[in-house]
Amino acid sequence: MTERRGVQGNQAPDEADREWYISRRGFLIGMAATGTALALGIPLGLPPLRRAAARLTEGEAGGFASGTLDPLLWFEIYPDERVLAYVPKAEMGQGIHTALAQIAAEELEVAWEKLEVLHASTSQADDSFRGTSGSMSVATLYDPLRQAAATLREMLRHEAARKLNQSSEALVARDGGFEVAGDPNTRITFGQLVAGAVEWQVPEEDVPLKPASEYKFIGRSLPRIDLPAKIAGEAIFGYDARAEGMLYGAAVHRPTIEAKMRSARPGLTEGMPGVVKVVIEDSFAGVVAESRLQAWAARDALEIEWDEGYLWQQQELEDLVTAGGRGGVSIQRVGNAPSALKQGTPIVAEYRTGMGTHAPMEPQAALALVGPDGGKVWTSTQFEMTARRMVAEALDLELEQIEIIPTFLGGAFGRKIELDPVPSPAVEAARFSRAVGAPVHVGWDRFEEMRDGFFRPLTHHQFSAILNDGGRIEAMNHEQASGDALFGGFPQPVGKILGFDFGSTRGAQIPYAIPNRETVAWRRPMPIPTGSWRGLGLMANLFAIESFFDELAHAAGKDPLQFRLEHLPDDVLGQRIRAALEAVAAQAAWGRALPEGQAQGIACGTDGGTVVAEVAEISVDQDSGRIRVHQVVAAVDPGLVINPDGATAQIEGSIVMGVSAALLEEITVRDGRVEAGNFDRYPLLRMGDAPEVETILLEAPDGKPRGLGEPSIGPIAPAIGNAFFALTGIRLRRLPMTAERVQAALG
Amino acid sequence: MEIMVNGKPYEVADEPDRPLLWVLRDELSLIGTKFGCGIGICGSCDVHLDGNVTRSCITPLSSVRGKAVRTIEGLAGDGGLHPVQQAFLDEQVHQCGWCMSGQMMRAVALLEENPDPTEEELAATMNANYCRCGAYGRIRRAIVRAAGQMAAAEDPTSGGGGT
Repeated sequence: MTERRGVQGNQAPDEADREWYISRRGFLIGMAATGTALALGIPLGLPPLRRAAARLTEGEAGGFASGTLDPLLWFEIYPDERVLAYVPKAEMGQGIHTALAQIAAEELEVAWEKLEVLHASTSQADDSFRGTSGSMSVATLYDPLRQAAATLREMLRHEAARKLNQSSEALVARDGGFEVAGDPNTRITFGQLVAGAVEWQVPEEDVPLKPASEYKFIGRSLPRIDLPAKIAGEAIFGYDARAEGMLYGAAVHRPTIEAKMRSARPGLTEGMPGVVKVVIEDSFAGVVAESRLQAWAARDALEIEWDEGYLWQQQELEDLVTAGGRGGVSIQRVGNAPSALKQGTPIVAEYRTGMGTHAPMEPQAALALVGPDGGKVWTSTQFEMTARRMVAEALDLELEQIEIIPTFLGGAFGRKIELDPVPSPAVEAARFSRAVGAPVHVGWDRFEEMRDGFFRPLTHHQFSAILNDGGRIEAMNHEQASGDALFGGFPQPVGKILGFDFGSTRGAQIPYAIPNRETVAWRRPMPIPTGSWRGLGLMANLFAIESFFDELAHAAGKDPLQFRLEHLPDDVLGQRIRAALEAVAAQAAWGRALPEGQAQGIACGTDGGTVVAEVAEISVDQDSGRIRVHQVVAAVDPGLVINPDGATAQIEGSIVMGVSAALLEEITVRDGRVEAGNFDRYPLLRMGDAPEVETILLEAPDGKPRGLGEPSIGPIAPAIGNAFFALTGIRLRRLPMTAERVQAALG
Repeated sequence: MEIMVNGKPYEVADEPDRPLLWVLRDELSLIGTKFGCGIGICGSCDVHLDGNVTRSCITPLSSVRGKAVRTIEGLAGDGGLHPVQQAFLDEQVHQCGWCMSGQMMRAVALLEENPDPTEEELAATMNANYCRCGAYGRIRRAIVRAAGQMAAAEDPTSGGGGT
């Protein structure tokens, strides 16, 4: 099994100039123009595709229609036995192409090594909204992908039966072919079946899907299909995209948060080595040069006059993002917490989380080739359709005139979602390419990557709670404020109508069975661009809730694990959280005697139906204040697991990134500028400080797959903070828990 | 000027200050070596210069003169993948993969210098390279595995198979 990628590699094969017609059951059947390949696509129930299907049926009812109306997800089978699966999902390290291949192979009965996964370009599968985010890829594609694969298999079976003069029921599907049960000599392959003119028939009824007990591909740790190319150094990422005669572009970005360009002049730039053209249009300025370093140097020499705008200071931003006052929206209300809290003296605490950046190892990059009638852009993006819109708008072209061809992503973590308020390398490369009439690559330097995007927002949390005589929580109130985690890129009315940003409130609701509980959220848009970061609000909210819950456990004189178990709701979700807590506690030997200077902390949470519980074991260097996380045990229940090793890798990665964010990483602002510009001011966790992560996969028996890329990043920060309290008796209430803050807390 | 990369001579523009990274990527199309930070902190650009790991993003062309450059493209031989590449594949180390050429180049240099590193030596060396996806545990396991395989291949009594 392979994966073809890159400037040359991600295109559909030439022979597949597809023609689609819609079957009575809503599947799109495609034939290569040459008649030698069969394609089957599914509309996925998305409105734009329904529209596309309607156009097809209205135009040429029942007949073929040509065009670029590929469905969002489809297969192609070729006479040489290759089976291509076109998917609308970006491979950014999460192993999604492998997981989707496993799901497809399960019903298709294809030979694994013949199956290739391709990320469809925007012209191949036209839908106004598609993207890769929110740990939702497997959950949303699991059913439609299996249904399409099973339907295609039955179409092939029908043709095989006709060719072999057998009944369909007599045939067994295996490894990309059919044979009469017990007689391998009758074998006929998929490739043989699609060669030649065939009148394909879509089954009249829904094809029944396999029971999970018969799965051969799903549930196995099959190797990642994109790894061989990555091991060899041959995989093409956006930064690697190349074209004959390619030039390099570099654009000017604003120096301060609110800066506006007053004027731009070439200055001495045009005489600098390698400079091909200075491009100044609208409020955009940059340089195209023969090499990347020449472009960067010349860009820095442009004479730009800025209106710097207001020069924000960190404390002013912190003051903006404060819970309380007008504008709060109650997002969870059980019983009457405000009234119950008046019945005694509540325990109160206040938590904050600083800003963070994504720091994908591959900075933003794109290659564009634009002519008068439109063009193509190869880029590392999570949201190729948004990239297309942004490029089309910038060039004043129609959407259909721009094709975005997604490459591999060198990490993303929410950064590569094409947020409108921040510059996009796809747009920059397209502007430059149009200006010089040649392919232009834009690859940001680390300074741009770190400063010129958007950030995980500040958050603020105020808690009050009251215990009853039995040591149980009688009432708990969570007041939460956050900069935008999702709405930063949305038109403002959306956020105004809703009143809160549901990205910021991921994990904000109190999951415990407390008779009186309430969560109130304040949306506090910040002057600095903010947006999605792995898990969105999850890390900040679970840090606050799970730390405060730990405070309550200690106030009640209870073991933190026991206290959690005692407050779980008596429903399916509560039972799943209980199972995760008990599993992680058993594996970590919760409460065991630890070496001097070490302690354990526990935390849990749910995200998108996935349940996570984690135990962290830490120590603290008393002199430097540095927290060291030695070991983390995680129990994760995402429901059905497609690839256990891939799932484990996502959990390990979430936890290591979470430790890094919880202990080291903070973006701060001074005089209107982001202070960090590279890893010297924004260090990441290194191997020697990374914990050993032990993962327990639990699978809820409902057979539903759920997200894995983000949930595990939630409980790690509070697990560390709770361990710190167990070790020192001091509560850390701000992320990140840097050495300086710990030192100050230790006095 | 001429530079030797993976045993092959290449003629490149004689710009002594130009960092090796951009010569490799943009002139020689050896895109397996990656740009990460440009200031020598992250290690995505690590290559070998006469067998020593070097940050190619801050290595001027002038200091490459007369030395042998080895990149990720030069690791695999006629017999297939280098044992370090094979171990990274076997342990399914990569997530996004952007930092991994640098990780593997540093791991190869470590094992060529010190075929049986202790856990501390391994971490001390590999601390030089960031992995944002957080694959550190797998990188560690892969290097231990590769060390075992390389030792087994050296030792004629073992049958060369390793574990």
